[in-house]
Amino acid sequence: MDKFSFKDVLVTFAGLFITTLVAWVLITSTGNNPSEVAKYLYEGGFKGTRNIANSLYQATPLILTATATLISFRVGMFNIGINGSMYVGALYAGWAGYKFTNLGHLSHVTLCILIGMTVGALWMLLPALLRVYAGVSEIISTIILNFVAVLFVSYMANGPFRADPIAPATARILETAELKQIFPNSQFNTGFFIAVIVAILAHFVLNKTTFGYELRSGGDGLVGVYPSRFSSYLGIPSDRSAIIGMLISGALGGLAGAIEVLGAVRYFFQELEFNQGFDGILIGILGKLEPIGAIIASLFYGAIKNGGFFVDYKTDVAREIIIVLISILIFFVSAQKIVKGLEKYPIVKKLDSFFSRKKM
Amino acid sequence: MNKETAIHLKNITKSYPGVIANKNVDFQVNKGEIHALVGENGAGKSTLMKILYGIEQPDEGEIVINGSMETINKVETAINLGIGMVHQEFTLVPSFTAPENIGLGQEPKNSKGLVDWKGLNKSVMDIAEKYGFKVDPGLKMIDASVGVQQRTEILKTLYRNANILILDEPTAVLTPQETDELFNVIRTLVNEGKTVIFITHKLREVMEIADRVTVMRAGEVQGVSETKNTSITELASQMVGREVFLQVKKDESNPKDEILNVENLWVHDARGLLAVNGVEMSIKEGEIVGIAGVEGNGQTELVEALTGLRKASRGKIMYLGEDIASSTPKNIRRKKIAHIPEDRTNTGLNTQLSIWENLIGNSYFRKPLSSKGIFNLKKVAKHANKLKEDFDIRSPNVSLKVKSLSGGNQQKVVVARELSEDPTLTIASQPTRGVDIGNIEAIHEQLVQMRDDGGAVLLVSAELDEVMAVADRVGVMYEGQIVKWVNPKEVDQSQMGLYMAGVTE
Repeated sequence: MDKFSFKDVLVTFAGLFITTLVAWVLITSTGNNPSEVAKYLYEGGFKGTRNIANSLYQATPLILTATATLISFRVGMFNIGINGSMYVGALYAGWAGYKFTNLGHLSHVTLCILIGMTVGALWMLLPALLRVYAGVSEIISTIILNFVAVLFVSYMANGPFRADPIAPATARILETAELKQIFPNSQFNTGFFIAVIVAILAHFVLNKTTFGYELRSGGDGLVGVYPSRFSSYLGIPSDRSAIIGMLISGALGGLAGAIEVLGAVRYFFQELEFNQGFDGILIGILGKLEPIGAIIASLFYGAIKNGGFFVDYKTDVAREIIIVLISILIFFVSAQKIVKGLEKYPIVKKLDSFFSRKKM
Repeated sequence: MNKETAIHLKNITKSYPGVIANKNVDFQVNKGEIHALVGENGAGKSTLMKILYGIEQPDEGEIVINGSMETINKVETAINLGIGMVHQEFTLVPSFTAPENIGLGQEPKNSKGLVDWKGLNKSVMDIAEKYGFKVDPGLKMIDASVGVQQRTEILKTLYRNANILILDEPTAVLTPQETDELFNVIRTLVNEGKTVIFITHKLREVMEIADRVTVMRAGEVQGVSETKNTSITELASQMVGREVFLQVKKDESNPKDEILNVENLWVHDARGLLAVNGVEMSIKEGEIVGIAGVEGNGQTELVEALTGLRKASRGKIMYLGEDIASSTPKNIRRKKIAHIPEDRTNTGLNTQLSIWENLIGNSYFRKPLSSKGIFNLKKVAKHANKLKEDFDIRSPNVSLKVKSLSGGNQQKVVVARELSEDPTLTIASQPTRGVDIGNIEAIHEQLVQMRDDGGAVLLVSAELDEVMAVADRVGVMYEGQIVKWVNPKEVDQSQMGLYMAGVTE
């Protein structure tokens, strides 16, 4: 993908500006005070240790699901099934969290995370194999698998893994399997650092290694779609890239679920609801399919999301407004053509050519 | 001839970030003439035509159509002014027939408000008849030949009452016979009072069909002349700014050991039909072997089999004494066989990737570009920039996407990559398709250089001139076989035409 250029920055700010205007109109029209909403949104997102910690907690799974999604996009697979991987990863990490006893803290946590990642990866193996060997569109199979995942984990929490006689839930994970919560009254946990490290690692692998180059050779854009004739022509088996890319993608989805259970919820229950897998698609695109971009976009989204809870709590505006706002924002940020109108100004042209000049 | 002016583009200037595509261009076309617009890739022809057709807006300058000044800020305006454009890449719906494609967007309605198919068919057939086109109204475009598709595109512009037709490199995709037919069509159009702007690289065609010619180089007009008062050599030197040799300069070949020996090769195409049946061929180091022939006679499948992209059904491909018929593209590449594919945009390049990422496709795994799987990006940049210099890839920097390059420069990326790793055998398929004269010459020189350095070269091309000028030995391919081997110095073009039609005796 393109590196960030001045134009992108301009588009992002133009998008933020327009979104603010739209939000203003929207909130006013519901009879609420937009400046009050803005205040609580800001406070909920950024004010005080607890709110900041909660914002970072909200960002944690998003960093992983966004990175997971963009990896599959960049190998040329249009994977929208990360939510499914997140569910099964969470379920099995939780299961490992109470099943294995007599382990040390580090080894137990590591084991739970690895199991969550493996299950998440295996969940993506099916659509990958169907795509490569049977030509089934990964878009369709991953959508279906999202539904299957919800029903599957719900069955498991209700049946085989059920521990609680009253509620359909698994047993609580052992203390040795917990990711530590750092601040009082916040679910923020050490999983955040794992997420950031994994995303940085993904950045390195995708952009600086021959392995990443081989994975990307067939795709690297929203339009690059497996199977790539370019890859096979170079002697890079694009089947392999597609399968490996999907497995990595699924593993990161599983990791997002594992961290959620090990670090915040501490057990798996039937009503546990994830949608970060879907948000991750938007955030991945917002971050221009770059892991670093995904981190930044996730931090932003996390803060807004947490601010949204605050708004919900303090005013009459429902927190769903945040989803509306984010959607509008992505809509405008994707609208590259807004900037086209500005290109005629010499200063914009100059800045753009300055920022798009690179070392190479 | 009527000397009334149909189009006058005055003082057109258009710049993109970092590039001036058109600089004070003055372009004037008379009514009822065939006007050729020639120039290298990136000379600014396409930009100029996009401005005329309303796709781009000029920074400065005026557009005068039939004597009145116009602002063309969208394609609809251009169409309403009677301008029609046939793009190099067709804009047809494959599952639609010719009349359906032609009427699309301007369907006649009957009294019930539904599409009047009969009326549409009739008006299309009337136009076709008027200009002497043969149209099968029931044939879907997916089943139609390239020539028929192109005629459908032309009819589409005529259906929209175009008086000025812009044809963007119309012959690039045509066989010689189809080119002749196209020229007849163009002459009929002009006889019926239309004006034709003909964009091309091929100077011989300019001399054959055009009345006047405008030559562009580096965004500026180099000269306007009547074809009867100019020559190919003069036009060519205007185009590249120096004398060019349409002949390829090379010494006698000095073939030595055999590199490749193909024995009784059979290959099936993607639909499972037999495309190559019994090709025999040998290539020695220090020679260029050419394969001539009308496209679609198995050349594509032959090259795919040689490069491992398609499995041979029968036969042997002996390369340095080893059968590579069932080898993978990767192993074949590792044995120093380079491949310039005929399909540049999907096979030869990933246009989503940057120039440097495309340039290292065959070398990314080796030192010093990478070590233990990790790139040394400084060395990669050095390598990419060296290739950019050596092969004259025109772009501000190698981090830009290949998508942003002109067609000729994209091809230079492919050629640069393939020739960079010192190949023993170079398989070049249509290496100069859509490339301008200056770069054609450069690519030919590079192929001859590969030969002189002791490499073996297989050149497959639908351009007869190219095969005859570059190759030391030429095989003519017809219906999946090589029906004749000739020495290009000892045979003339008309004789070759017969061989290409399968007449060997």
